[in-house]
Amino acid sequence: MLDMPNAPLGTAAEIAAAVAAGRVSAQAVVETALARIRERDPILNSFTAVTEDRARLRAQAIDDTRVRGEPLGPLSGVPFAVKNLFDVAGLPTLCGSKINRDDPPAKRDAALIERLEDAGAVLVGALNMGEYAYDFTGENIHDGPSRNPHDVGRMSGGSSGGSGSAVGGALVPLALGSDTNGSIRVPSSLCGTFGLKPTYGRLTRARTFPFVASLDHLGPLARSARDLALAYDAMQGFDPDDPACADRGIEPVAPILERGTDDLRVAVATGYFKCKSAEACYAIDRIASALGANRDVEIPQAERARSAAFIITATEGASLHLNRLRSRAKDFDPATRDRLLAGAMTPASLVYKAQKFRRWYRDEFLKLFTEVDAILAPATPITAPLIGQQTFMYGDAELPVRANLGLYTQPISFVGLPVVAVPVPMMPLPIAVQIITAPWREDVALRLAHALEVKGVVAAMRPPL
Amino acid sequence: MKRKAARTAQPAPARRMAKKPRGKVVRATNRPAKKRSAKSTHDAIDMMIAANTSALGLTLDPAWQPNIKFNLQLVLRHAALVDEFPLPDDAEPAPVFHA
Repeated sequence: MLDMPNAPLGTAAEIAAAVAAGRVSAQAVVETALARIRERDPILNSFTAVTEDRARLRAQAIDDTRVRGEPLGPLSGVPFAVKNLFDVAGLPTLCGSKINRDDPPAKRDAALIERLEDAGAVLVGALNMGEYAYDFTGENIHDGPSRNPHDVGRMSGGSSGGSGSAVGGALVPLALGSDTNGSIRVPSSLCGTFGLKPTYGRLTRARTFPFVASLDHLGPLARSARDLALAYDAMQGFDPDDPACADRGIEPVAPILERGTDDLRVAVATGYFKCKSAEACYAIDRIASALGANRDVEIPQAERARSAAFIITATEGASLHLNRLRSRAKDFDPATRDRLLAGAMTPASLVYKAQKFRRWYRDEFLKLFTEVDAILAPATPITAPLIGQQTFMYGDAELPVRANLGLYTQPISFVGLPVVAVPVPMMPLPIAVQIITAPWREDVALRLAHALEVKGVVAAMRPPL
Repeated sequence: MKRKAARTAQPAPARRMAKKPRGKVVRATNRPAKKRSAKSTHDAIDMMIAANTSALGLTLDPAWQPNIKFNLQLVLRHAALVDEFPLPDDAEPAPVFHA
């Protein structure tokens, strides 16, 4: 339908430009997306609900606005979908669980859905995810696994697996996910999409189902750095409905994406972050070379930071679900339940120590940004494992898949730093690199991601079908 | 508010006992306690699970026990790594993080 180079649908920026110019209608774009979902999703299993009627009404309204000659938003006609922990009016907020299916439908959309729709985007559905977001695999015992669009026998990554699968498979150009320990960056790496985990407190989490309040972030996955920037800009701004949302003004990034990167000092994380697989090393080397990153930095005590994040996640998550563990333990995925039960039984003194360590680690980490503007680190240790795979070899060690796909993401989100995951195309499977910047400097990470894309070093691979 | 200068935490010096304690002899020493055997650690975790199950009002299927135990041991291993790191007494926790 649309003759666009990136994918069957085109990028969000291409779609919005075409709709604004009248080259295509929003309704035609939405019908293309819905047809692609009907065709491909029985295989990918990325959607848990498709909001066809709502999407058609919304697209009609956008086309009517254009016919009246009124201004259109920067994402007009862009189909998007959200991880099913976002409230969607009229649907129960599943959060990947069986238990939440008994909840009444949400009365109002999540704040970020409202903000994207205010910018003209069109919600087309809710996406599969790991149960209660406690997952790095994209597998789900209740809904089945969301599948990797580049090899459907492999994992999409979690817990925003449906978001990675739907964007990587070009069913939609844009999706929203959540990231507590890596759940945007891991699916971005395995499915080959761009992903933005903003600074903790930057984007409102109002009307989404939480996991670990002090670690939860929301953000976009897309097929280009510009699309991330457009969505991010549309979603910024204070919201009193999220107690952790920072009272900061909107700092648009899309207009400054082309500013160049010559003034930016980029380093590669070493020590704990040193890659041990050929594919992760290739990706880091390629990006470091393209950005002229010729120095290393060591992030202090990163392994301990991961451990502290692990403890806080297990215990805060357990606290959130304690009543459900009492009343409906058998309705959890056993893999989720048994980790939450272990968290419920962990002594509080150890948790408090982890919170104290967190402050120390944050202060030490931030010192690095007096010397560099961005730090590169692998997003995942390996490319997508097979669905059901339990362990993988990494260097000399055999590691459990479920816990270790987030090996490199946990020590970063632990202190809320902004990260853009950029996908390095490789055959047969992509892998991503994290571009980590100082708090509130999403602009630096997005400028670097855009520059890499212009140079042809990073790209969202076209799915096989 | 000006914070106190951070101090690097060291193991607290052994306190001189003012009085000889009654009953069980407590030695004031910095020597680490004897390592428990693997079996006694496992038994301790089994007891921890049983005690918490009761205290938290949980009802667990006995078949879940091995996985809960595996995961609790994993959390405690991570916790030990954090716990051994010296922090000053006035280190500020970050339960709600602000960047």
